[in-house]
Amino acid sequence: MSRKAFLPGCALPSYSPENVSKTIMYLKSVYPDLSVIQKCCGKPTKAVGQAELFTQRFNGLVEDIKYCGADEVIIACQSCMNTLKECKDYETRSLWALFPEIGLPKEVLGKAKDSDVVFSVQDSCSVRGNTDIHDGIRWILTELGYKYEESPRTRENTRCCGFGGMVGAANPDVAMRVMKRRVDDFTTPYIVTYCAACRQSMLKAGGKAWHILDLVWGDVVTSNTVPPEDVLASPVKAWKNRYRSKGLIKKAYR
Amino acid sequence: MAYQQSVMDKMREIAQDCQGSQTSYCNARCPMHTDATKYIQQISENKLEDAIVTIREKLFLPGSLGRVCAHPCETECRRNTEYGQPLSIAALKRYAADKADKEELWDVSKKPSSGKKTAVIGAGPAGAQAAIDLAKEGHAVTVYEKLPVVGGMMRVGIPEYRLPAAVIDFEYKYLSKLGIELKLGVEVGKDVTFDSLISEHDAVVLANGAHKSFVPSVAGMEGVEGITNAVDFLKETSLGENNFEVKGDVIVIGGGDVSMDCARTAARRGARSVTTVSLECLEELPASAHEQDGAIEEGVAFACGWCAEEVISEGGRIKAVTFVECTSCFDAQGNFAPTFGDDRRTIECATLIFATGQIVLDVTEGALEQGGGGRYVADKQTLATKLDKVFVAGDNAGGTIVVEAMALGRKAAISVNRFLAGQDISANRDFENEYDFKSQLDIPLPKDVEDLPRKHTTTIPVVERNNFSECDLGFDDETALAESSRCLKCECKECMRECIMLNDFTQYPGALFKKFLEDGDIEPIVAYSCNMCDQCTLVCPKEFKFAELFGAIRKDMVKANNGQSPIPGHKAINMHQLLGFSKLFTVRIKGGGK
Repeated sequence: MSRKAFLPGCALPSYSPENVSKTIMYLKSVYPDLSVIQKCCGKPTKAVGQAELFTQRFNGLVEDIKYCGADEVIIACQSCMNTLKECKDYETRSLWALFPEIGLPKEVLGKAKDSDVVFSVQDSCSVRGNTDIHDGIRWILTELGYKYEESPRTRENTRCCGFGGMVGAANPDVAMRVMKRRVDDFTTPYIVTYCAACRQSMLKAGGKAWHILDLVWGDVVTSNTVPPEDVLASPVKAWKNRYRSKGLIKKAYR
Repeated sequence: MAYQQSVMDKMREIAQDCQGSQTSYCNARCPMHTDATKYIQQISENKLEDAIVTIREKLFLPGSLGRVCAHPCETECRRNTEYGQPLSIAALKRYAADKADKEELWDVSKKPSSGKKTAVIGAGPAGAQAAIDLAKEGHAVTVYEKLPVVGGMMRVGIPEYRLPAAVIDFEYKYLSKLGIELKLGVEVGKDVTFDSLISEHDAVVLANGAHKSFVPSVAGMEGVEGITNAVDFLKETSLGENNFEVKGDVIVIGGGDVSMDCARTAARRGARSVTTVSLECLEELPASAHEQDGAIEEGVAFACGWCAEEVISEGGRIKAVTFVECTSCFDAQGNFAPTFGDDRRTIECATLIFATGQIVLDVTEGALEQGGGGRYVADKQTLATKLDKVFVAGDNAGGTIVVEAMALGRKAAISVNRFLAGQDISANRDFENEYDFKSQLDIPLPKDVEDLPRKHTTTIPVVERNNFSECDLGFDDETALAESSRCLKCECKECMRECIMLNDFTQYPGALFKKFLEDGDIEPIVAYSCNMCDQCTLVCPKEFKFAELFGAIRKDMVKANNGQSPIPGHKAINMHQLLGFSKLFTVRIKGGGK
């Protein structure tokens, strides 16, 4: 069996250290020799156009993967997954496509079967071609007992949440219009994303959004539930969380 | 700043191949390039005055053309090429004109006087268009018209029941409003000499039209009463003279629109029956389907595939015509070369009208050489003749329908204007746009498009068509709205419909990158406003990868800016990334025990 490493990405630890640690605990139960790396892949550096700096930073991450002896990296961030494909020394695997193979923990199965919420899925535009990921998310929702509805712009035909390309910092007005349009696309008011940045965009534009891991590890969402706050909007809270996530990861290996 | 070669190459490719600038099928096929897509959209929004303004940017006679244009645009309409159900473009134009055209909407602005004097011979659509364009350029224009009325062949060749004279007179007011002097009833070569026109003007446009019927010589017709030709017959009808007596059964020889006009006019002038006889078989009949249908409705009989051989007369008046079978009209190369069989038939009649083509009569007193159909020998692109201040237009230049005549009038005016300014008359000239061309637009049909049938205008009942009142009543509001809503708005704006940020910076990517290439640079905010979501590429018929290109442009911008993004807001990302890679926030744990 191949040796695996888990890479939660940046936005997810900054959003929810609990989602990171619970995922690691579960993955460790399936893959006892799982490695974990919490680090940025360098995508923002690349998106801004700093090509040399990106290569330098990305190579550091590749080195970490090699240090762990991993030949397959399980990834919870779509941008990380695309970035990591630039190196061929290991396989990449989306966490969302992996779940249907390894299954969800027994205790969460069917937990939301009585929920009155019908979710719309915000597929990440960076993986519009990855049907296995789209299928995985829907599989997870179904296993949990949630209902969902496909809006007209879904899966390979999905639309950007507005965060892509670092536009938020360069042209906030355009980013906001893209975010609003995306929220308007959905046919139900409850949105599930599998990217913490997508979730933030949906919240910014007035949508009610959850991360898929909120649904897996958190309380059952009903029409009365208020979505988790937009912690990413506060740099202090976000960095605190990232630091806390690092601590929880270390704790998981004690 | 400098960009990588690969970026420059990609931009050139997009600037050249992006279809955003491609003209819609209908617009390209219109020799005057009327923006039908735009005015039909305006009609569908019930913005009829806006629609008139759009039409009038190109056409000064929306009401006339809305009635009689042979509408080549409709042949090219995507709903025709896909489903055989073209938009009723002409009828929609007429609807807008009937409902909303008024003099206050007319653009009567013109350039300051150039001090140049020009003359136009002929007040038909070609001459009028040339006169308008020259007047707008600031030249003094005098139009010499042999007829006592304006409109030329459009007035005296197209019957009143298709195009009421009042519509023409109203629309021709535009010429007077522009200060064009109209000299009606003045015949060049008789009332005024061609030489005097030349010597008194700085340039002359010949748009005198094809006002003589071509009549083949048929045995036995010499000196026989009851025979006339289309030009004379239609003209005297239009002018209300009616000197020719229409008696008994009428034969009209010819298979084109003019033959249909003669047949239906004869019916209105008291014919007992009317039969059109053509060389062409029914399938090859040159008359437009619309005119054929009108004739059939009114009881006109068709005898197709026959050639007149002999006129039989009795007591000096025609009694019958004998025809010989025409087995084919064209040879293998498509040239007109009729062949005949042995079959013969005789059709009795008391009246015979030849509608077998028209020719141009010389007004230059031999100064210019005439070719086929009497057309003057002239440069096809510039319409210049061997006389350096004389240009031709309309029938003289080969136009066969009203809107073509107008385009040729405009073309002549462009040449005259350059000539008067002392410029080269052909240098850097966009000849393609001066006439119809084939649109290169290659786009998929819009999603969920339905094959909806073409809407038709209402016409007055056949039993009431015994006079020259207008036959076609046009669209009512509801039908016009439904018909205009069928327009597929053919243009390539696929990415523009999908991308929000592109709309902030350009009309279409081809224009954006063309400008980039011209200016040598672009505002960083453009490249940095791309979400890199590839939605543009997904809908682009050319699958251009704009995200990739904007990414490459960003790289070059950073390179030129000491490794930093040129966007002030990106300073935060620098810090964010520093932290994201710092020991404080990163961890790596190798699994599988210590």
